[in-house]
Amino acid sequence: MVGAAVTGRWLVGLDAAGGSALPDRGLIGGKAWSIAHMQSLGLPTPPAFVVTTEACLEYQRSGTMPDGLETELQAGMRWLEGRSGRRFGGDEKPLLVAVRSGAAISMPGMMDTLLNLGISEANLAALAAESGDAAFARDTYRRFLQLYAEVVLGTDCPELKCGENLGDWRAKVERNAGRAVPDDSMRQLSAAVQAVFDSWNSRRARRYRKHHGIPETLGTAVTVQLMVFGNFDGQSGTGVLFSRNPLDGSPVPYGEYLRRAQGEDVVSGRHTPQSLDDLHAHSPRLHAQLLTAAGRLEESNREVQDIEFTVQRGTLYLLQSRTAKRAPAAAVRIAVDMQREGAIDIAEAISRVTPAQVRSLLSPRLTAAAARTTPLATGNGVSPGVGAGVVVTSADEAESRAKRGEDVILATATTCPDDVHGMIAARAVVTEFGGSTSHAAVVGRSLGLPCVVGCGAGAVTALDGETVTVDGGAGGVYPGVLEIDHPDEREDEWLRQLLQWVAERSPLRVLRPDEAPEEDILDLDALEAAADPDRLAELLREVEAAGGRTVSSDEGIAAALAAKLRYIVAEPTLPPLLAAVQMSAGKES
Amino acid sequence: MADMREMHSVLHAFAIKKLGSIEDAAALTGLDEAQVSALAAEAVAGGRLNEVDGRYMVTPTAQITLKGVYAKVYGTLRDDAGFREDYEAFERTNDDLKQLMTDWQTLTIAGETVANDHSDPDYDQRIISRLDRLHDRAERLLERLAQHVPRVGYYGNQLLAALEKAEDGDLRWVSDATIASYHTVWFELHEDLLRVTGLARRE
Repeated sequence: MVGAAVTGRWLVGLDAAGGSALPDRGLIGGKAWSIAHMQSLGLPTPPAFVVTTEACLEYQRSGTMPDGLETELQAGMRWLEGRSGRRFGGDEKPLLVAVRSGAAISMPGMMDTLLNLGISEANLAALAAESGDAAFARDTYRRFLQLYAEVVLGTDCPELKCGENLGDWRAKVERNAGRAVPDDSMRQLSAAVQAVFDSWNSRRARRYRKHHGIPETLGTAVTVQLMVFGNFDGQSGTGVLFSRNPLDGSPVPYGEYLRRAQGEDVVSGRHTPQSLDDLHAHSPRLHAQLLTAAGRLEESNREVQDIEFTVQRGTLYLLQSRTAKRAPAAAVRIAVDMQREGAIDIAEAISRVTPAQVRSLLSPRLTAAAARTTPLATGNGVSPGVGAGVVVTSADEAESRAKRGEDVILATATTCPDDVHGMIAARAVVTEFGGSTSHAAVVGRSLGLPCVVGCGAGAVTALDGETVTVDGGAGGVYPGVLEIDHPDEREDEWLRQLLQWVAERSPLRVLRPDEAPEEDILDLDALEAAADPDRLAELLREVEAAGGRTVSSDEGIAAALAAKLRYIVAEPTLPPLLAAVQMSAGKES
Repeated sequence: MADMREMHSVLHAFAIKKLGSIEDAAALTGLDEAQVSALAAEAVAGGRLNEVDGRYMVTPTAQITLKGVYAKVYGTLRDDAGFREDYEAFERTNDDLKQLMTDWQTLTIAGETVANDHSDPDYDQRIISRLDRLHDRAERLLERLAQHVPRVGYYGNQLLAALEKAEDGDLRWVSDATIASYHTVWFELHEDLLRVTGLARRE
């Protein structure tokens, strides 16, 4: 290790690996704290220091940068230079940093991350030589200017085109911002820190704090972290690692790795990442080091981790670790497995699965045989689920025929706001133009409606009047009404365990239709008023038991609990049971 | 600055807000409710609007008339280079907005698309922060567009109201299609601008 961590009145060097205690989260903010936490587990991170929340508060009090901060920032950069063997603002081996805002609680309105600070026209050639990629060096400079214009100068950055020269880029930014980007990297750093402090007082941040009762005295910290590069040589690369498989939840690490690449290459999809086996083949040592890190982070956080990492010239760096997003099947399996492993208790396991996740797992799907039917049209399946009905080509017709009790499929070339009422009435929506981000897709998903977009000119409006089945996940439109399969919650090992836990704890009994006694059970679906969630409470007053799809929804369960129903009738039973347990647990805490 | 006559403004309002109320149309047109009410009654009598329980929609023939009105009222504007540039900037922002909404609703996990079940507040917060920054850009753009088409200012206010509700913790205000969420209002604004420019919807 190179000397002691930098420290000052306004500044803390992150060096928990040196055995020192973790700095106070309130002083250094959440992002820096998680870097320090990784270090304290003995894991390698790029070196970083933090300008503390106290400096921010002093800035807010006095309106000027705190006395001595400038000098401390310089000392901080010297420290990073010592740790990395690189030079900030120099012509050779340029040291680049990422500047991030970070309060103990994240909030909107705060400055976004500024990357690649430290690059300049003077050291562009050096970065090009190190990476062996002149285009990369230029692009790094371009992205720096763009971000600097947006987050520090607060202007919409004009498009900086690849063919233009560096002077053109700077002139464009200056014209738009009315201010130039300073030449000196140290001055850029100081301006970036000040921009973070100013963002603490942005209208939206202030509003957010007021609404959520977050004290003004919290302040934000600024993290300055060395940037590492995965594209320097054949011993470099970048990737992500999940401590368990995020799709099926199996307790096997899952990751992607791309040799000789920088983070953006993976995100942008410009290159197809390889599996982690590629890293293993390349360097068993790094592979083992990475898996050990994943294990330690998961154990320490008691949660599945999603870890971003970079290998620079054969050295592993962990950039970020956070709770992993997961597919519904993985959510269920991981929660149950981690309870069985003793990492979490049953209540915690139950809290980690949402009713929406189990609904999605148990949602009806085409039978295997039905899914082999030759489709009439195919497109981009953007909102999963299966719907069948008669094709209509106007929203008004969809609405009027649905009102008469018909199942309809709305098929249009594109959708406009006019069509939304027809979409609400339909069992599925199909369009001829547009991709996964089209308005139709956004509206379809918001309504939980099966939706296939971009089937091609004339492909679906031509089906006017035909009866079809739409699979909004697979993206197919099939002739006729196809056979549907309802997954059984008792057939899957992990669902069965979860079901047992919630059934034992639920304040509301949930019976399957074949278990329900022969007595008066209110069918909410038969009541038009039940479509309005606000009226459910009044409909369930004086009622003993209720059934129908509506009562299984989150709103329905809330109303059933409030009305103290003896039981409800539903199939599957897991979603309403889980909702009931979570709602009552939410009330107790 | 060109603008539609009051009757056409009211018809336009109900073309954007199909089955909207008198209050909706008053808010969009900037006319007072009594005036909108009188004009709507006149339009119903003249076969230009249909009314169902105090909600209005434009009849098919009046829709065709409206197209001609747009061409006439906004003809000069359609040739205005500055306006067209701003509109193109809107289309670009529109692409960003749709991508953002898609990221709000879905996640890519290990190469597969799954629904965002909103179980991770950090993820949601990051998207709302992105929306917040997109809104800053949009706000400046809408101000410029409103110099030519004043009612654009109404959408700006509605967008901000939706954003603030989402920031306050009610996540429905991002993309729920059944309320005046950010996406709903944006979708209407887009439709409005398409009518002004006479351009076809690209998807």
